[in-house]
Amino acid sequence: MEKPKIAMYWCSSCGGCEEATVDIAEKILELADLVDIVFWPVALDYKEKDVENLPDGSITVSLINGGVRMTDHEHMVKLLRKKSKIIVAYGACSSWGGVPGLLNLYGQEELFSRVYSEVPTVENPEQVTPSRSTKVDDVELMLPEVLPRLLPLDRVVGVDYYVPGCPPTAEVTWRALEVLLSGKAPPQGSVIGASEKALCDECPLNGTKPDRVLVQDLKRPHQVIVDPEKCLLTQGLLCLGPATRGGCQALCVKARMPCTGCFGPLDMVSDYGAKAASFFASIVDFQDEESIERVMDRLPDPVGTFYRYTLASSALGGRARANRK
Amino acid sequence: MPLSQISEVDKVSDQFEPKIVLFACNWCTYAAMDLAGTSRMKYPPNFRVIRLMCSGRVDPQFILEAFRDGADGVLVAGCHPGDCHYMEGNYKALRRMILLRRILESLGIEKERLRLEWISAGEAVKFVKAAHEMVGQIKALGPLQLSAQVKV
Amino acid sequence: MTEEPRVGVFVCHCGLNIAGTIDVKKVVEYAKTVPNVADAKEYVFMCSAPGQDLIKEDVKKFHLNRVVVASCSPSMHEPTFRACIAETGLNRYVLEMANIREQCSWVYLDKQKATEAAKDLIRMAVAKARLLEPLEELRVSLEPTSLVLGGGVAGLKACLDLAERGYRLHLIEKLPTLGGNAARLGKLAHVDIRGTEVAGSLISAVVSNPNVTVHVNSELIGLEGSVGAFRAKIRTTPRFVDEKCTLCGECFHVCPIEVPDEYEFGLSKRKAIYLPFKEAYPRIPVIDPEICTQCRECVKVCEPGAIVLDQEGQVVEVVAGAITIATGFQPYEPPEGEYGYKRSEKVLTLFQLERLLDKNGPTGGELKLGESTPRSIAFIMCVGSLVTTKNAHTYCSRMCCASSLKNMLTIKERYPDTEIYAIYKDIRTYGRGDEELYEKTTESLVKFIRFETPPDVKPHSDRVDIEVYDATLQENYLFQVDAVVLSVGMSPSADLDKVRAVVKTGCSPEGFLREAHLKLRPVEAPTDGVFLAGSVTSPKNIIESVMAGGASAAKAAALFAKKEVRIDPITAEVTEEICSGCAICIAMCPYGAISRKEKGEKKVAQVDKALCKACGACVAACPSGAMQQAGFKDIQVMAQVAALSDKRGG
Repeated sequence: MEKPKIAMYWCSSCGGCEEATVDIAEKILELADLVDIVFWPVALDYKEKDVENLPDGSITVSLINGGVRMTDHEHMVKLLRKKSKIIVAYGACSSWGGVPGLLNLYGQEELFSRVYSEVPTVENPEQVTPSRSTKVDDVELMLPEVLPRLLPLDRVVGVDYYVPGCPPTAEVTWRALEVLLSGKAPPQGSVIGASEKALCDECPLNGTKPDRVLVQDLKRPHQVIVDPEKCLLTQGLLCLGPATRGGCQALCVKARMPCTGCFGPLDMVSDYGAKAASFFASIVDFQDEESIERVMDRLPDPVGTFYRYTLASSALGGRARANRK
Repeated sequence: MPLSQISEVDKVSDQFEPKIVLFACNWCTYAAMDLAGTSRMKYPPNFRVIRLMCSGRVDPQFILEAFRDGADGVLVAGCHPGDCHYMEGNYKALRRMILLRRILESLGIEKERLRLEWISAGEAVKFVKAAHEMVGQIKALGPLQLSAQVKV
Repeated sequence: MTEEPRVGVFVCHCGLNIAGTIDVKKVVEYAKTVPNVADAKEYVFMCSAPGQDLIKEDVKKFHLNRVVVASCSPSMHEPTFRACIAETGLNRYVLEMANIREQCSWVYLDKQKATEAAKDLIRMAVAKARLLEPLEELRVSLEPTSLVLGGGVAGLKACLDLAERGYRLHLIEKLPTLGGNAARLGKLAHVDIRGTEVAGSLISAVVSNPNVTVHVNSELIGLEGSVGAFRAKIRTTPRFVDEKCTLCGECFHVCPIEVPDEYEFGLSKRKAIYLPFKEAYPRIPVIDPEICTQCRECVKVCEPGAIVLDQEGQVVEVVAGAITIATGFQPYEPPEGEYGYKRSEKVLTLFQLERLLDKNGPTGGELKLGESTPRSIAFIMCVGSLVTTKNAHTYCSRMCCASSLKNMLTIKERYPDTEIYAIYKDIRTYGRGDEELYEKTTESLVKFIRFETPPDVKPHSDRVDIEVYDATLQENYLFQVDAVVLSVGMSPSADLDKVRAVVKTGCSPEGFLREAHLKLRPVEAPTDGVFLAGSVTSPKNIIESVMAGGASAAKAAALFAKKEVRIDPITAEVTEEICSGCAICIAMCPYGAISRKEKGEKKVAQVDKALCKACGACVAACPSGAMQQAGFKDIQVMAQVAALSDKRGG
């Protein structure tokens, strides 16, 4: 019996998801026994041509992480779609755009201008910016093009399953792999390896909440000496646990940090940031505009807070107009 | 066509008629709008109404979806503070709209495009005035230009 | 829903109301192109019998399982069409309406744009209709007991009519006596009895009915639950005097504390221990705990030992299926100085005049101010009404014209030489016999002066100077009178905020309680099971208040006759498989309908459907989408929104 083939690829990524795969530690040896890895740029020396030469649909599962930001990402993911039975969006970036998705708040000109000229520590007197092509020894070399926006994987190719997390934890990764290799396919489009419920379900502090959860102020983590026995929301921290899918075993909360939402939305929610903002605003316990605004002033970057991992997959996908006028 | 060639979608036309989605609470605003109708008042034909029981039901997801689907403006209207048919629903709406407006501004959507009004069942005149005002404001702002949404 | 949606779209002409502006044919043709629309028809009056028959036939013919009616506002005919489709066997809740009249044809000038708007609204209605699901109403059994708040004529009538039908009642009155404002009035217009007697006859009928439990000196301090099963807390303040009292009056003599008598509108004084008025019910004195110094002089002289200074109050809990609010009004209180009010004993209000003219009043019916009888009186009418002064209400208070004219005639009959001026902004003698009253008053040589700018009233030690510009004759008048009567209107009662906080019902812009519909549901509050009677909703005279009391009783009786209440099933519901028990929703509910329950080792939210009022606030707050509102689910509303740009169809 031929071993199932798996491929792993990274788009606009920090490398954390690659490390997460390795994080499954000893189990990686089990994995290596169970499957044939046919493409994994970060670790193995297979080339694009090797993938092209594979028969269509011959890769059982391709795990793709990172957001689609460049034309070469687009090209590779489309190739892998052709060659794979199952495409898995692995990690927050490919599932919803992730942190790099926040790029969508800026237009390309704006970005280049900021990075290559406005940043105070940059010295670029000739205003050199990257260009697509360059000549080296009479050979023209081309760089891939930057797409107008960073896209989650499912806006480019059909995605069969999602594994959430920034990065997905080892347990989540292993559970997802087990599901994928078990032969019992969950409904297409499902999030696998994680929980069907929000983080509060598995959080040890959920039982400490009073009946009515309301806040009158907001604090940054460094402003609170966190009581490890009390729900962080009730201590004035903005914990997005109620809006975020569970399955991570509340690692951050157990380390006394409020959840920032990296496991993304639950199934019934279409725009994570909007829902998270809605739940938080709802529990601000004031009825007059002035007091409500005062609490909201404690949140200088609401988009970065509520859409940290999900801006690219939100209703508007980013800023309404790509370039500020 | 290659993703890289998809550029900004322009919705500009000569006679810009804004589309405004209106979330109206059943007991106050919807009744005021009905009263405006029975009184044969006139206002610009730019509104598409969605009837909910309370302004407290308005989920920010609805508003973002409206902008995504072509709304140039969104009006959320409910009972006056203190008079909500369900006691406090409008306060929850107020809190959510305050935060949402800040998010929208960061997303390049001018705060005038999301309007919150308190209109009681008898205030047909107030509604009509707000309607005229809002259409004028949105016309001045121009159509909401979204960046291209790229799908499979 | 596993079956394919088959939507029927029915577009109404409403005669020319819709068809005169909207091209109905184009709209119907358009509707046919919208996905999942299996049938689209038009008719002149869809709510009529043949219109409804059309819907019913088409449901069968085209196997429709969802219906969209594009017509007038759902507030007009949603119940009509729900009942109509129910007759075909479809569930009442698979109906969606598109308002293309009140919010389209009647308000949009441009016919083409109105037609486009109608198309959009229908497309959006179909988008929601596709996702509608059958819903079952919750049924709650009705406790056939009613609470009536307020022992004035409206509340008494409500009580009487319900008691006579065999229902149990708790009548709750905050004062130590029943009777309300009417019991403080002397001879009424057009009838030969006094206000006190009108109240008195209602009182004796009510208290002799075994179905009624009367709680005086009592307040409703808590109300939970909903129609069919309200749980009420009634607190009774002690009277400190019991039934052993023989009304010998000795205690009144010895009590050292004296305050203005509020029953007499401050014209005389009462003691800390007092009987509110002669015909008070119960006819037992009461001690005002706020001014009593506990000197115990009264106890010393009380032979039967009826004074019990350590009497305890009590709180009773009662279950009631309905509650009627009939807490009445208070007379408009002019601010000090308005027309000289409170700056001179020569300026009194209409209500004070009533007491002076009443044979049981502080002067035994003699029109005396201080020692003398005024020989000239100016009635300033419309005080506190018709925006005459800064503090005045915009509305007309209805009863003051007839009441003022009646008093003018009474004075003319008993003191024929008195000169009377009626200085008015408007005369509104609308009721039966009132115009004749006005004619009679003019014939009795009362001088009528119409003003547009309020008169200037300056009281002095020996007279009152009046200056007024007569708007009819267009001349300025300056004259003196011995007394001024301010015909004050009706204001919402000062306690109304407290009542509203307990019963949780809304008020109108003027500050009165708001009825569900001014014309079609005048004695019902928007909240199911709560009724409103009398001047608590707007100024009314005794006739109108008694009528309203009877009407509210009829409504309550109709409710009880059903034996069970059907609750609109558009309530919130939790999908336990997704609910993480995060508890965010609990604080969202003002009705306490949500709680957390144990599910194995975890927690989930649960909704008490009988308490849920279907506002949806918890749904928008739910961070995971586990809480949804039946009939207004996220997917249903989102579909309706997304249909804004839906390019399908057309």
